[in-house]
Amino acid sequence: MIRFDKASVTYPGGVVAMKDLDLEIGDGEFVVIVGLSGAGKSTLIRAINGLVPLTSGGLDVNGHDVPNLSAKGRRQLRAEVGMIFQGFNLVDRTTVLNNVLMGRLPRVPLWRTLIGKYPDEDIQIAAKALDRVEILDRAYVRATNLSGGQRQRVGIARALAQEPKIVLADEPVASLDPPTSHVVMKYLQQISRDLGITTIVNLHFLDLATAYADRIIGLRNGELVFDGPGSEADEHTFRDIYGRSLTADDTMAKQAAL
Amino acid sequence: MSDSPLRLPPKPKPSPWTVGLSLGMVVFTVVCARTVGFSFSGLVEDLGRTNPVAQGLVDISWGEMFSERSRRAFLETLQMAVIGTTAGAVVSLPIALWSTEVGNPYLIPRVLLRSFNNVVRAIPDLLWAGLFVLGVGIGALPGVLALFFFSMAVIVKLTADTLDGIDMGPIEAAKASGASHTQMLRTAVVPQILPAYSSYVLYDFELNLRASAVLGLVGAGGIGQRIDFFRGRGDWSKLWGLVLMFFLVVVVVEWLSVKIRRRLV
Repeated sequence: MIRFDKASVTYPGGVVAMKDLDLEIGDGEFVVIVGLSGAGKSTLIRAINGLVPLTSGGLDVNGHDVPNLSAKGRRQLRAEVGMIFQGFNLVDRTTVLNNVLMGRLPRVPLWRTLIGKYPDEDIQIAAKALDRVEILDRAYVRATNLSGGQRQRVGIARALAQEPKIVLADEPVASLDPPTSHVVMKYLQQISRDLGITTIVNLHFLDLATAYADRIIGLRNGELVFDGPGSEADEHTFRDIYGRSLTADDTMAKQAAL
Repeated sequence: MSDSPLRLPPKPKPSPWTVGLSLGMVVFTVVCARTVGFSFSGLVEDLGRTNPVAQGLVDISWGEMFSERSRRAFLETLQMAVIGTTAGAVVSLPIALWSTEVGNPYLIPRVLLRSFNNVVRAIPDLLWAGLFVLGVGIGALPGVLALFFFSMAVIVKLTADTLDGIDMGPIEAAKASGASHTQMLRTAVVPQILPAYSSYVLYDFELNLRASAVLGLVGAGGIGQRIDFFRGRGDWSKLWGLVLMFFLVVVVVEWLSVKIRRRLV
């Protein structure tokens, strides 16, 4: 369970990225957050694992009181929360397996990390994660030799290797082409359903959002402007969220046709 | 299309800065040359005279290149360079990490470490050698110590500069997965800089090998000490033999090192 309670984030420089947000996300939900760039999507996601600190208000994530965590408590929280990035954030020079093993770091002693010798159980968990996104055969390939879609699947595997309760995905398909985007979204959906992982995804393509989301949350200027099931969101809702009429840029299918 | 030549916009004049700076450099160089008493006629006169040092190059002693004592001196030089480089490289990696913002979030320790690096770098290798000869006596030990500090200066500086330009994405990923700071450095930062770092270590080995020829002049062991011995005796043909041999060793080591470094980066 994730609960925002009158949560606000103001960045140094005065930009308000989250304003008095009240929001509850239950276990196992698949939530898509939509909004224009600058609406506060990334801030919301990064607040959940403490990468962005709240300026005021409360935030409870699976019993962790996020604003008041010690450095150690924050690491424990992050160990339970997997994260997937727009730019994949893989270490290009090392192998796929080593990248995925990064998800095991909170459970591995420091000396083993330093010599790069991970316990067999952890390697098994990493292998299972790679198998789930069907890329186990590339385990010993350097990350730099993979295609964009494959790299994002490694990103998903790295998050899965944490055996997380929550997965956060920040624009996971923004650097991918439409067919690959659907592959990645399907993996995310499937993982959420099979493993009961709460999944929160930032997207800016409306058709992708309605196609995959159980629940859509609309943000505008840091405020919640829509919260409802994916099936309820139509063109009017999105006009509200975006504050303007929709254009071809807003849907992946139409943009791909251009 | 007409054949009339195209009219270019008016050519900009050289800025007064460029003109002033160029003139200033010429004047400064001439003044310096006069102050130190440099003259071309003197140079030509000196070159024409018979010169025992130059004569030694003609009568170069090939035998000295492979004599027992020279071989030992060469071996000592190589050993000094290997030990100095290895020890320097081992301590340089953590120091480089801790002296950059990526590797060390605490401002004051970082600034202190950087100042320490700057001091180490400001002292030239020959001065290090001189200091350690005073401290621990003549021989290979002060040479190794000098090369250790010299290596630290070189490798830390180059590695730290590389660290400033790495991809921050993996660092964010490691933090988000709950890794500790040291784990983050090991898994997200070190793999990114390892090829460059290895290349710097090899480059530093080349520098150390060359430096060891000079270190001997202040009594810090190696081939330089034997070169200095012949210099003192005025035995120029043997000196040139050693210098030629040293030149060959340096060329071979550099050639190898460049080949390896090209594969690394």
